Amino acid sequence: MIEPFTVPFLGRALAELVLLAVICGPISVFVLARGLSFVADALTHTVFPGVVLGVVAGGLDGLFAGALVAGLVTAVLLTVLTRGARLSDDAATAVVLTAMFSIGVVLVSRRSSYTADLTSFLFGRLLTVTPRHLAETAVLVVVILVGLLVAVRALLFRSFDPAGAAAAGLRIGRLDLWLNVLLALVVVAAVRAVGTILVLALLIIPAAAARMVTDRLVVMALLGTVLVVVAGYAGLLLSWTASVRYGLASTSGSSVVLLLVLSYLILIPVRLWRGRTRR
Amino acid sequence: MASAALRYTGVSVGYQGVPVLTGVDLDLRAGQRLVLAGPNGAGKSTLIKSMLGLTQLLGGTATVLDRPPARARGLAGYVPQTGTLDADFPVSVRQVVMMGRYRELGWWRPARAADRDAVDRALDRVGLADRARHRFGALSGGQRQRVLLARALAGEPRLLLLDEPFNGVDAVSQEAIVRVLREVSAAGTALVISTHDLAVARELADLICLINGRQWAAGPVGETLTAETLRRAYGGAAIEVADGRLVVVEP
Repeated sequence: MIEPFTVPFLGRALAELVLLAVICGPISVFVLARGLSFVADALTHTVFPGVVLGVVAGGLDGLFAGALVAGLVTAVLLTVLTRGARLSDDAATAVVLTAMFSIGVVLVSRRSSYTADLTSFLFGRLLTVTPRHLAETAVLVVVILVGLLVAVRALLFRSFDPAGAAAAGLRIGRLDLWLNVLLALVVVAAVRAVGTILVLALLIIPAAAARMVTDRLVVMALLGTVLVVVAGYAGLLLSWTASVRYGLASTSGSSVVLLLVLSYLILIPVRLWRGRTRR
Repeated sequence: MASAALRYTGVSVGYQGVPVLTGVDLDLRAGQRLVLAGPNGAGKSTLIKSMLGLTQLLGGTATVLDRPPARARGLAGYVPQTGTLDADFPVSVRQVVMMGRYRELGWWRPARAADRDAVDRALDRVGLADRARHRFGALSGGQRQRVLLARALAGEPRLLLLDEPFNGVDAVSQEAIVRVLREVSAAGTALVISTHDLAVARELADLICLINGRQWAAGPVGETLTAETLRRAYGGAAIEVADGRLVVVEP
């Protein structure tokens, strides 16, 4: 069970997933608490043109910078658009999402290696993670964790009771921007490994699954992280075994996500059972 | 001289330039209980939020705790209606009450013994010390409202603003809330309580402010809650019953 991971590229893939798990557990708690699934979806899509531009400008190393710029721009844009209350959150988000994604498709379709590029942007390249990628991810993980920790209490208050938080003197706009930026950074950290589409699963499923078994936010965050680690390990093992032993090609990123979804489905009955016995 | 908890002169408030409520004159001192009464949609919530600068001041002058309303955020305690909050939110009673200390704590400073003591005292005061570890949403509506009151008390405010604190609240909780409100006002905290329930208004108020789109009457209870002012504020729906008490039937 351990042996496949002694192969360097598989070991690095697992290390990358463990790093991502550390942030995806906690951040997904806030995505769930604030009902930001759609915003998270928008971020994953708007990072796409950034990724394409980054690669066009600087090759695969430019991907990271491109994603970073696009993610931060979106975070600011979404905060400003939804703040004026002129547009509903959903409408504003949808406008940004579709516009940016279209730009990305236009950009990528101009490249000669169109299909291959599109696939790797959308679904990631988990097995080609390099030590340098790992280091970059680790730095982002630390930044995001610190960013979450300093604001966790205020973010929690704002999520639970926006009017009460504003009445207590918390700056709602600043907090929303903060969380959106952190969310963007998570997407940037994860996008190279799992792609712009599958990263959404890491932002939503961990806490949603953990919510089935616990009402405590800290436990939700920790359990979410554990779920990603387990799904990451099992998913890599599965795709490795499938291709090495049985010659079945199965992309590792999607295997991981599928197992994460599976954990969610398995935990649904727990929720139903708890609902019946809850005082 | 006792400083004013609240001073409104000819105030109009609303959203995005559109007035919801006009002609409000209020003068509230430490330890006084002001009840904002009026039918649903009268502008009670808008008026309460204006006291924290959360709705737009469209005319007149307003000071709260001797400063502009927005500067009173965090100094005044605010108790929202429990019905506006997500009962499914995974947060414990204790965590909710601790939110009342966030003004001192800011974004990141860890809670200290003084903060934890304030939370314990506040929970004890509303009679829910034994529920601290329960999930907020698992409590009854009345108990949730008491938790929100405890949260405001934990901040030790000089002015307490309560938005319809008796909506959907059981008799036991209502009694507990009324008792606590009397205690804190006796200790010098000024209170503003909005309600559409005139019986509660009569029971609690030192001063009453009758509103519906504009201020129809304000002052001591006896002078303010008359058949005529009620009829005007409620649009002709007020009827008087035999023992001199007024009952309002919404048209």
